[in-house]
Amino acid sequence: MVATTPETAAASAAVRQKARRQRDEELLVWPDLVFVEFIAAMVFLLAITALSITIDAPLLDRANPAVTPNPSKAPWYFLNLQELLLHMDPALAGVVVPTVALVALGAIPYYDRSNEGQGEWLSTPNAWRLTWIGSAVGSIGSILLVLFDEQIHVRLFTGLTGSAWPSSLNWIRNARSIQNDLPWPEWMRSIPLGNVLRTDLLGLPKLDLALNIPELFVSQIIPVSLMIGLPIILSIVLWKTGEAKTRRDHMIAQFSGFIAVYIVLTIIGTAFRGQGMELLPPWEVKMPIS
Amino acid sequence: MATTERPEPRGLGDRLYDALFHNYVWRSIFRSGYPNTPRNQMLVVATNVFLHLHPTRIHRTHVKITHTYCLGGLSFFLFLGLTITGVLLMFYYVPSVERAYEDILHLHTDVRFGFLMRNMHRWMAHGMVIMVLMHMMRVFYTGAYKPPREFNWVVGVVLLVLTLLLSFTGYLLPWDQLAFWAITVGTNMVGSAPILGPPNKFVMIGGFEVGAGALIRFYTLHVIALPLLAATFMAVHFWRIRRDGGLARPL
Ligand code: HEM
Repeated sequence: MVATTPETAAASAAVRQKARRQRDEELLVWPDLVFVEFIAAMVFLLAITALSITIDAPLLDRANPAVTPNPSKAPWYFLNLQELLLHMDPALAGVVVPTVALVALGAIPYYDRSNEGQGEWLSTPNAWRLTWIGSAVGSIGSILLVLFDEQIHVRLFTGLTGSAWPSSLNWIRNARSIQNDLPWPEWMRSIPLGNVLRTDLLGLPKLDLALNIPELFVSQIIPVSLMIGLPIILSIVLWKTGEAKTRRDHMIAQFSGFIAVYIVLTIIGTAFRGQGMELLPPWEVKMPIS
Repeated sequence: MATTERPEPRGLGDRLYDALFHNYVWRSIFRSGYPNTPRNQMLVVATNVFLHLHPTRIHRTHVKITHTYCLGGLSFFLFLGLTITGVLLMFYYVPSVERAYEDILHLHTDVRFGFLMRNMHRWMAHGMVIMVLMHMMRVFYTGAYKPPREFNWVVGVVLLVLTLLLSFTGYLLPWDQLAFWAITVGTNMVGSAPILGPPNKFVMIGGFEVGAGALIRFYTLHVIALPLLAATFMAVHFWRIRRDGGLARPL
């Protein structure tokens, strides 16, 4: 036993008092929490039953591999990825982006390790502002990029000036035109990889792959640079302007931006993509009620 | 056990109460009396395996609906509902290319309340994806991933992936045009990756194209493998919430 000095006695009294104060702030799980859970479950059960009585789950014709519906769409929560598919390399959109996004999501707590803003809604000084800024940048940014690939600037130009888009600027009509309308040297469009990586020297079959630099540029390098570069620019700007000071601040902006992009692309993919994945107003899109 | 809590005088109500809640059979099932006193209320939470997912006491801010909006709890509730309706659907559904579509049609025409089971299962599945995403947002914006809860956030991300996979594998089962082509589009995305893409796609759908192989694979994953995995990770998730000291609070 440690001898009780006035100091230790005072300290342990303080601890005990803190514990008591905490106790006073606590409620019993039964009934207080169990009641809330029960009500929430009942409300949901009733709502889902009502929904299920009124709206039937969709069932189209029997599956037929010979008849491809136009458009064919993935389930709604993957339509953001399917939207990316229209603008970049399929492997990038379908595999790399979701994998990196999930790993980044899981890494958030290992980057932001402070206890700042813990346990309360958006409780750091700039939290709400950063949420708005992040969401606005994410949603407006992704809408603008989608519109750019739709040649909206070309249409606006002809609509406003009445004249055609200058042919010297043809290469900047959309992402693909960078590949097709710039005077790339012809050899760049097909570099046989087998002549560089001599797998045949190792006794393996000769690599039958050709590298297309303009294509690589448009479908991989530009999208990757945008997807990594724009968030970084956002964080740098927020840091230089003093909006974001801590890691938590940066995480709030980035996470909000990510969620905004996810939601915007999901909505575009669901409601704005019609036949041939053409960008259309929602009322012209026949929606498969998934 | 709790007999000292009911002193004299004993009216008819008290005697009835004792007969109902303090009899031999009741107390062989529930170790405490009816939870209408603080002592019994704590005992019921501490001794009941289902209620024991909770602590016996909880900070008052966490009972406020606006702290969690019950989103995690509702995700779990939907998971349970999906399990129940899913088991009922399994009675009527055979995962073969010949029968799958007709079995679903029959749910709407020949099975009493079959349409209700199917519709509830479908809408709860969509609801669960939405609830889990919103739960993740609430955890993020309340800063509840901070130490010591880092790893539970990672467990959560795994649960998010499992939820999406559960929904995706279920999507194929009705074997209609919507199902077939959604899965074709989805698995083509995987197949488009260089080198590893095609073999991965082959393993996923058990062939070069979505067909009988894909149907039985998706079915098996959907009704047994993924639910078991999800339940396991949920057990870890809930256990960790308790171990990490309950829900996050400001320091
Ligand atoms: C099937 C999916 C999931 C289920 C059933 C589930 C269930 C729950 C429940 C019941 C809680 C208690 C508090 C509340 O209701 O908010 C909780 C807390 C928590 N969840 Fe989840 N969750 C799921 C997915 C996720 C995801 C996707 C994440 C994050 C990426 C996550 C991270 C957390 C964390 C960190 C806590 C502790 C929160 C705190 O301390 O305030 N969970 N979860």
